[in-house]
Amino acid sequence: MKAELLTYTPLAEVKKVFPDLETDLLLPHLNYTFAIEKVSRACSHQLVRHRVASFSQQSQRYITVKRLSEKIVVPPSIGSNEDFDDLIDSASIAYQKLVESGIPKEDARFILPNATETSLLLTMEGKSLVHFLGLRTCNRAQWEVRALADMILEQLRAVEPIIFNRAGPYCYQLGYCPEGRHTCGKMKEVIERYRVE
Amino acid sequence: METMIATSMLTTTSGAMPSTLYDRLKAKPEKVADIVGRVEVQHGNILEHNRLVWRLEATRDEVLEIMLKSKFFNITEAGPDTWVLSCNLRTIAEYHQIHPDEFSRELIESIKEAAPHVYGFIKGDKE
Repeated sequence: MKAELLTYTPLAEVKKVFPDLETDLLLPHLNYTFAIEKVSRACSHQLVRHRVASFSQQSQRYITVKRLSEKIVVPPSIGSNEDFDDLIDSASIAYQKLVESGIPKEDARFILPNATETSLLLTMEGKSLVHFLGLRTCNRAQWEVRALADMILEQLRAVEPIIFNRAGPYCYQLGYCPEGRHTCGKMKEVIERYRVE
Repeated sequence: METMIATSMLTTTSGAMPSTLYDRLKAKPEKVADIVGRVEVQHGNILEHNRLVWRLEATRDEVLEIMLKSKFFNITEAGPDTWVLSCNLRTIAEYHQIHPDEFSRELIESIKEAAPHVYGFIKGDKE
């Protein structure tokens, strides 16, 4: 998995024109574009739930998935597992056969698993990004998207610490856990993990 | 700006990693020009990976009119009759298609330098 910040709108540039406006009011006007690479389709499905964003994703209508078994994401909880590996191999063989028999890639892909790797461009404005990080760096987020959100946060903090040192899971942003009865119960530990000296 | 548009186009249709595409295209402006030259206004999502920010001088009524015409502008009050306005290229292109008014012409003129090929096809599309 990789997340790389390709371009962004520097806060300082916009502040030059609007020096009196609070940073929070400028957030919707700042853009951040990331290359997200080698995540699973299960992960990208979670990304596109964030609708105030723009995506350009590798298309399975146009790109043939070659050597599926080398292009999958395996959850650590599964690790090395014969049943999992067998199913991936079967899907790989069936997909290849379908494509070779002339079935359009857009239909052959129906057999591909959620584990299939994908890459995409993701663009979000600052306010939506802080919200995304609030949800997806939370202990309750799924491991893959949480790891991705942590990578994104790390790079954002490096270029725009004024904005993103305050970003992180919602308990860190708000000072309380908004997850209610679903709380992980580790708020103190989580806040400590995201605190910036 | 156009390097990102070209990166976006190739990301969807090639197996290459988007960061690799972006780095390669940054060094090849002629390739970017060739790819972006094939863009059509209907290819909306590839025009979304950018944001332009303006200082807008307008009355509240004028701002309301803009907001009623398109929900994709972000507008923040910055002072008396002064606003921060931002949007992506797709919003400009689509707004101009539907409302080729003085406001949209000013938006388009401001992208002439940053995105000359996109400027060309948006303008050519309407004029």
